[in-house]
Amino acid sequence: MGTPVDENKPKLGLEALGELIRLPGANMFLTSTKKLFSWAEKSSLWPLTFGLACCAIEMMATFASRFDLDRFGVVTRASPRQSDLMIIAGTVTVKMAERIKKLYDQMPFPKWVIAAGSCAISGDHYRHIYSVVPGVDWVIPVDVYVPGCPPTPEAFMDGIIQLQKIISEGNLTPHLNIANRIERETTKPLPKKLVDLPKTGNYLMPDQLKQHAHNLKESGFDYLSYITAVDYSTTLDLVYVVRSFEKNEENIWKVSLDSSNPKVPSLAPIYKGADWYEREVYDLFGVEFIGHPNLKRILLPDDWEGHPLRKDYSMETPRLPYRPSREEYEAWKKG
Amino acid sequence: MEERVIEREFGELAINMGPQHPSTHGVFRLELHLRGETVVKVTPHIGYLHRGVEKLSETLEYDMLPPIYERDDYLSPTANSLAFVLAVEKLAGIEVPRRANYLRVITAELQRLASHLVWLGTFGLDLGGSLGGGSTLFLYCFRERERIMDLMETLTGTRFHTNMNQIGGVRYDVYDGFDRDVFKTLDYLEKRISEYKEMLENNPIFLERTKDVGIVPQELAKEVGASGPVLRASGVAYDIRKNKPYSAYQEFNFQVPVGNKGDAYDRYTVRLKEMKESLSIVRQSLGGLPEGPIHSRKPVKTPSLFKTPKGEAYAAVESPRGELGVFLVSDGSSKPYRVKVRSPSFSNIAIIPHILPGHLVADTVSILGSLDPVFGDVDR
Repeated sequence: MGTPVDENKPKLGLEALGELIRLPGANMFLTSTKKLFSWAEKSSLWPLTFGLACCAIEMMATFASRFDLDRFGVVTRASPRQSDLMIIAGTVTVKMAERIKKLYDQMPFPKWVIAAGSCAISGDHYRHIYSVVPGVDWVIPVDVYVPGCPPTPEAFMDGIIQLQKIISEGNLTPHLNIANRIERETTKPLPKKLVDLPKTGNYLMPDQLKQHAHNLKESGFDYLSYITAVDYSTTLDLVYVVRSFEKNEENIWKVSLDSSNPKVPSLAPIYKGADWYEREVYDLFGVEFIGHPNLKRILLPDDWEGHPLRKDYSMETPRLPYRPSREEYEAWKKG
Repeated sequence: MEERVIEREFGELAINMGPQHPSTHGVFRLELHLRGETVVKVTPHIGYLHRGVEKLSETLEYDMLPPIYERDDYLSPTANSLAFVLAVEKLAGIEVPRRANYLRVITAELQRLASHLVWLGTFGLDLGGSLGGGSTLFLYCFRERERIMDLMETLTGTRFHTNMNQIGGVRYDVYDGFDRDVFKTLDYLEKRISEYKEMLENNPIFLERTKDVGIVPQELAKEVGASGPVLRASGVAYDIRKNKPYSAYQEFNFQVPVGNKGDAYDRYTVRLKEMKESLSIVRQSLGGLPEGPIHSRKPVKTPSLFKTPKGEAYAAVESPRGELGVFLVSDGSSKPYRVKVRSPSFSNIAIIPHILPGHLVADTVSILGSLDPVFGDVDR
């Protein structure tokens, strides 16, 4: 009946899905619904507009003019409820991991995940950092890994092609990392080391601070460049830098605090910028700023324990972002 | 009368913008409190990309760090590593060859152009419908950016994390015909930038959405520590390239564009003018590229053999977003004792809670886009 099929010719389009029977006057096409649906799914992948870090810029470049992912049927959507592909492009932090899980849960089935870039795959050079999740497969199952730091647009396109291949072949084996979850939970504080460093600069007493800042601001030093701290083990020194554009001068002063109970008056009423800088120092060093209007953690989640930039704080992640239980994991594996 | 009824019934509405939102330019969350369409209070939440770079620096050797800093502000990677290597060179007293300084300027300015192109493209996306569906400008800008990426790739092997700066010099020298390629690209860019200027400044919707929107008063910009185009748009002519020149910037002629009002439109014009200045700086530096070595340090067998003397140093560069400084404390070992990155985006977005109240929700994206934060830089 139908025309014989040349075995050597690569099958393309619909022909790859099933049997095309050419009849006089009409053609007939035989396939399974599963194949047909997966063919439709792979040709209209809609990723979520969602970038985390550097890789997102390369992802944008891939979507843009030269590389043009539209020709793969890949069109970005701004809402997770309209998308079926999540490209994790960038470093996953503990604070973000919960949100990623939430976004993933909001996406309708069937859904796929591409981990793009070495941070999303393994955490890369940030993997030992307290706030970084070593690979997004700790949080959500991943179908395709695209290596690179960041992956080039060609690599991104290859990732999409690989995913399309997996979908059309129907052998999805997403990977969720649960094996080495336990060992990371135990981290010990580091022993305190005594340091002997020369301390230079203009040191003030904590009670002089407010008056000093006020006087400087009155005399034209109205630009607050930054506030930071250095942990010298026994003492914790704050560094304040202000600037005057009229005089083209900088004024730097320091305050030395007892590192076991660091307390200092806040400069937020004098310089508006001190608000965020002091919150950052509180977050990372644990310095209490008396009179600060809103002394809360800024970079780390509110319920974080410890202050990471202290010298006795171990770099390893002390807390895991989202942990599926063993039962949950088994249930997920069964599908 | 009717308005009052609505107010009594609905009161304040709190909505959440981000951390996944196409217009937050990264992972940023704004807690907006609205009365009708007007923002009455806003609480920004940052830290979704806090990668602990400062802690990481304390565990790695100096020579290993520049590539890591390049990941901080991922739109202008060389500016980051430049700030770090400048601080180390200042502390260790290392002289950099003149040719290396010129090459640093060339890559930094090319990346400033690329960064501003991304900003302009995404700003177009934010303003959306007013600019031909929004994606027109985005696609144009990324088309031009690819030209710069090509240059970087031919020069260094990677598209934007170039790994160009090293302590004591630069890693890669220019190849034969680099100047020809660059001049060709610059001529092309110059034409395009004028085209965008015409396209945007004759568009009444663009003007409507940026003029008098998000005014940053000069006092506020200073107190918060804003820098870069945000500070200059508010009328302060402070540019580190001019006021405290580093590398070879003192040898070039360029203007520092300044705005007067400090609204989103001023920030746009300042950046667009800056792009033209960058074109001129690259032309000057490439035209007068001196001969000589590109590196002044003797090679060491392992990174741990390079040590700096005890002490403190601060070096700042003018990144596309503003003053990017590195405050370095050394204890005499091969690893830094403490590194503080004074990031421009952090202080620039600290303005948001002060200026956003009183604006419409739609202006939020226009203001945020005009501040041009990069969250790798905010959270570090």
